[in-house]
Amino acid sequence: MLGITRIAPYFPRHRLDRALMAAAWGTRAAGTRTVAGPDEDALTLAVDAVLACLGETDPAGFDALYFASTSAPYLEKQVASVVATACDLPRPTAVADFGGSVRAGTTALRAALDAVQAGSARAALVVAADTRHTEPGSELEPLLGDGAAAAAVGREGVIAEVVATATVAEEFTYLWRTDAQRALRVSDLRFGASYGYARDVAEAVTAALRRAEVPPTKLARLLLAAPDARAAAEAAARIGCDPKAQLVGPLVAEAGVLGAPDPLVLLARALETAAPGDFLAVAAHSEGADALVFRATDALTAARPRPLGTALAGGLALPSYAAFLRARGMLPAEVAGETVTAMIEWKELRQDVRLYGSRCEVCGLVQYPQARVCIGCRAQDRTVEQKLGKRGTVFTFTIDHLASALVSPLAMVVVDLDGGGRLYLQATDVAPGEVRVGARMALTFRRLHEGGENRNYFWKARPMETS
Amino acid sequence: MKDQVAVVGVGCTKFGDRHDRTYEELICDAAFEAYADAGIDPADIQAAYLGTYLPGPGGGKAAVSLADALRLYGRPITRVENYCATGTDAFRNGCLAIAAGVYDVVLVLGAEKLKDRGGRGIPRLGHPLLARGNTAPGLFALAANRYMHTYGLGRETLAKVAVKNHRNGAKNERAHLRSEITAEQVLAAPIIAWPFGLLDCCPTTDGAAAAILCRRDLASRFRGAPILVKGVGLAVESGRPYFDPTFDYLGFRSTQKAAQQAYAMAGIRPADVDFAEVHDCFTWTEISNIEDLGFCAKGEGGRLVEEGRTALEGDLPINPSGGLKSFGHPIGASGVRMIFEVVTQLRGTAGPRQVKSPRLGLAHNVGGPGAVACVAVLGNA
Repeated sequence: MLGITRIAPYFPRHRLDRALMAAAWGTRAAGTRTVAGPDEDALTLAVDAVLACLGETDPAGFDALYFASTSAPYLEKQVASVVATACDLPRPTAVADFGGSVRAGTTALRAALDAVQAGSARAALVVAADTRHTEPGSELEPLLGDGAAAAAVGREGVIAEVVATATVAEEFTYLWRTDAQRALRVSDLRFGASYGYARDVAEAVTAALRRAEVPPTKLARLLLAAPDARAAAEAAARIGCDPKAQLVGPLVAEAGVLGAPDPLVLLARALETAAPGDFLAVAAHSEGADALVFRATDALTAARPRPLGTALAGGLALPSYAAFLRARGMLPAEVAGETVTAMIEWKELRQDVRLYGSRCEVCGLVQYPQARVCIGCRAQDRTVEQKLGKRGTVFTFTIDHLASALVSPLAMVVVDLDGGGRLYLQATDVAPGEVRVGARMALTFRRLHEGGENRNYFWKARPMETS
Repeated sequence: MKDQVAVVGVGCTKFGDRHDRTYEELICDAAFEAYADAGIDPADIQAAYLGTYLPGPGGGKAAVSLADALRLYGRPITRVENYCATGTDAFRNGCLAIAAGVYDVVLVLGAEKLKDRGGRGIPRLGHPLLARGNTAPGLFALAANRYMHTYGLGRETLAKVAVKNHRNGAKNERAHLRSEITAEQVLAAPIIAWPFGLLDCCPTTDGAAAAILCRRDLASRFRGAPILVKGVGLAVESGRPYFDPTFDYLGFRSTQKAAQQAYAMAGIRPADVDFAEVHDCFTWTEISNIEDLGFCAKGEGGRLVEEGRTALEGDLPINPSGGLKSFGHPIGASGVRMIFEVVTQLRGTAGPRQVKSPRLGLAHNVGGPGAVACVAVLGNA
């Protein structure tokens, strides 16, 4: 059996009430969007999504990782490798970045399924993440949100078996962003939805259902990544599905149209409640469409994905539209940072990115950064590398208004990690009063500063979900 | 080394925003005052130690910064840098050189110019990823929050340290901040790094201070009343205490160890000390310091402050000068400035801030936080 073995959505913690956005422009808009913080981007969201997907699973069990995004923080530099390293996947991992359109999410998923089916990969991780920029005041602005999702693909413990896939490709001008543009452009939302989106998605889904020998009326869920809810409803009708009973469209009201992560997020949502034997079709569009049909397995009931409601819970409301613009890097901000030279990164990669400290073989003390002489018993060269845990408890902290950082005021925390080791880190995604002695924190890989004209990432601590 | 080294001359500039003075001019102001105090011909200085923390525009990089300012050429000069203990460590090195019998007369000078740098606070140096986001107040605040959590101390007690030190500093014409403040003002001041508000923090300051040291048996050749060095101590601990899983954050081992060394050398107990200049970079630091120096048990420093025992008229005056909090903190200068204060108090010439007939005074710096501490004990008999 081949298919999805684990799946998890991940959303940034900040939220914007679209009424604040609408008030800034004298328009009307409803619902809430997720907002990536100033230290987040598609790379960091991807790391968070993969860590959420892995849970306690050993990353060494995977030998492929595919990253999909239209908003990768690098035009040249592979993001999948960074994600694989931060998540401590082994070096012999096949990696690839998928981009170019929101279809990257389904394309990466199909590629992962193909790789495992062909035997070139034993088990693969697919992660899609997007933080797409829109022009302030544009018609796209109230539609979009930020988020990520990761899925594990393999043959053992499959919760959603892939039954059939289909694809369509043909040029159609709809959504684009040139190499000189930061914000997404759209030709015409309504024309594109009817004459491009609905046509292509219906064609691909219909073909996949035919291959799966599943009539559209027998689908438990039709999961359509779409530029808006109307486009999804139009495509569902063309396929022969009941938009009300079967369709799950983009999560505009609670998160926004995410982009490449949408198909995986919708799959995760459907698998929360799907019954074994249920058929699920998922599709995404751009210059054509991808469609995949899955069947929920008996294993699903014992391995339900983390509910979307949990992933979306505990949001921090931004106070204003200006705060949204600042969080999304649309307003100028300068943060002091030093160059992380290629030499330092190379020497310290396991320590700084894979997050390995030292454990003393004599007294057992786990310590960080790596050291040759134990800080506990002073034994020399008796330390061995030790992977640090990613959860811990605040030993002490401060809220610093003087520090130069992407977030101000900046919470700094000293965290005693579960399993040993003490870290001193920036905290992020923090609500007032949340950082205190004894608070539980989880580590998250975030942007630290832009010294040396580069994006410099490091671990931070965020409050652990209380649910 | 006890009683082998005498301080025969001291000098100290007005501390503050000294945009009117270059780094080298500050050095001259402090040195010339110390020359005059000792009645010494600079040609008789055999060696010098310059305490400066930051290399900066206008000087501070190396020994030449002192040599060129004073035209003190053709003899050994060493720059000492040891975080906030820089000045006291320069003094300690000068004492050791004389006690070793190598030199008869030594100049120790601390100088720092923080206000011409632009920007806020002290520039952070170090690893480009690890511990990024740390600031001086933020680092000490980590300890303060853990301490306050453990001992149930409130910001109200911290505020009393600021009120006391401003009260002392207001009496001191050389102090940076000469305004008395109320506890209400301290508590209402904008937060810099919780639990420290603006008035819990010492200012960044320009200034310089100097001391002339000589062999005790030569002290009578000089004009100033000699003050004897009883003991010195220096201890270095981890510069990354925040990564040390064994660190309790309730005080600084470096101060405890440096004080033990100085007391052992002087052959005294903490209770023998009549007054102390301690490193009150932040209000909490003073409370922890007086515990670490052995003046009271751990956790009881706040009570000493509350009971007024550390006030100028208390039984253990702490920071009669006004401390870093009011006098200011030009990093490399602070330790030597404390020597200036201890000598002035022991001579009985401190005027309105004079401690009642002291015999033993102590100077203490801690930096890092807790990475390094230096203690010197001086006496007038």
